[in-house]
Amino acid sequence: MAKQVVLLVGTKKGLYQVRSDADRKKWTVDGPHEAPAPIHHATYDPRDGSMYAAINSTWGGSRIQYSRDLGKTWQTSKNPAFPEGSDRTFFQTWHIEPGHAKTPNILWAGTEPAALWKSEDRGETWQLNKALDDQPSRAKWVPGFGGMGLHSIAIDADEPNKLQVGISVGGVYTSTDGGASWVQDNAQTGGKEDRPDVFYCIHKLLAHPKTSGVRFMRVHVDVFWREPGETAWRNRTEGLPSTFGFAAAMHPRDRSVAYVIPLDDTKRTASPPGIGVYSTNDRGATWTRNDRGLPPGAALESVREGMDTDLLDPLGVYFGTANGDVWASRDEGKSWERAAQYLPYVTSVHAATID
Amino acid sequence: MLATPVRRAHVRVLLHGAYRGFAGGARDVTLDAATLREALEALVRAHPSLAERLRDEHGRLRAHLSLFVNQEDARFVGGEDATLADGDIVHVIPALSGG
Repeated sequence: MAKQVVLLVGTKKGLYQVRSDADRKKWTVDGPHEAPAPIHHATYDPRDGSMYAAINSTWGGSRIQYSRDLGKTWQTSKNPAFPEGSDRTFFQTWHIEPGHAKTPNILWAGTEPAALWKSEDRGETWQLNKALDDQPSRAKWVPGFGGMGLHSIAIDADEPNKLQVGISVGGVYTSTDGGASWVQDNAQTGGKEDRPDVFYCIHKLLAHPKTSGVRFMRVHVDVFWREPGETAWRNRTEGLPSTFGFAAAMHPRDRSVAYVIPLDDTKRTASPPGIGVYSTNDRGATWTRNDRGLPPGAALESVREGMDTDLLDPLGVYFGTANGDVWASRDEGKSWERAAQYLPYVTSVHAATID
Repeated sequence: MLATPVRRAHVRVLLHGAYRGFAGGARDVTLDAATLREALEALVRAHPSLAERLRDEHGRLRAHLSLFVNQEDARFVGGEDATLADGDIVHVIPALSGG
């Protein structure tokens, strides 16, 4: 069966599916599901074909849903629940991450208040990761502008017990034993010394899906790279038009390629000269602006979960915008076409490559 | 000495808006309850999927949820301790929010 690409597009008012065949020239839009609930993130699990969505509703409270039939029908998980006596209450889900291929049935979720949750039954129930929750340094975590959430869960390509989480504002924690213990992991080289707090405001942390030890991280200020065996984050911001941004993606095959959408630090929209996707093919040493097909000079905005790639060759790269557009590139990010428009504010884009 | 049996009223619970969806499309449930709290407990027994939609993990009623007994906002007639009488109608309503 020919491959297809399904973009799971979370918006401030429901989840949409934007579909195309492997040519990625013509797109259809289905949705919304669960409007008017805001959807912070939705994802596809290639291990078993399940879909997951963070339904962050005011009515009835936030919840995680899963679908076993590619989004035709959805079931509701048992909510993540802080233990009795806790002064915290589950408010909403920021990210859902399928586990490693070697650990079937396991998923991870990051929430607000910032906490890590593990499911061992394909997302039907969730258990609090107590080791991270018991970190004494948790007392120093503070909310960012969007709240205090755990939004990045980076699982190593080869070793499922090696994982990292990113917290706004709490920094990076690394585990080498599957989450049984954690250490803070915020050593950096070349970062800002005058504002140490901003380094702890992680915006997106990614693990390369094929090469063990390779990481790419978008922080409130600056972007960072880490190579296998390194123990510090290397500042790789030089060449970008601004130091701020949210959306980030890695090439799923080429371990030297990554993408970001820089934003103006004060306006929080695309940095001058307008919307552009910046790519590196040398692990962040240099950056190239890609804007062919994008509206010239447009002050668009793409947020934390706003960009992703498919698995096809040449690579498809996708991002959503606050004005309800979804943009697609089918030539590794060099040129762009609009895949969907007039959606609500897009909060997340996840590209599922489905056989 | 035997405890005096509690007299439970025969009431209808009407589900509105999103709460119908949370209950699989059910519009109303007839049940016996002495108080609003008991009515909610019986409602969850009838539709377990409502449990986490009505209360958070600490048992608190969720925000953006309005409960009425007949035409009265339950907050002003005793809250969850509001007593129910035969024929009362309890409304479970997604609170007016957004805009």
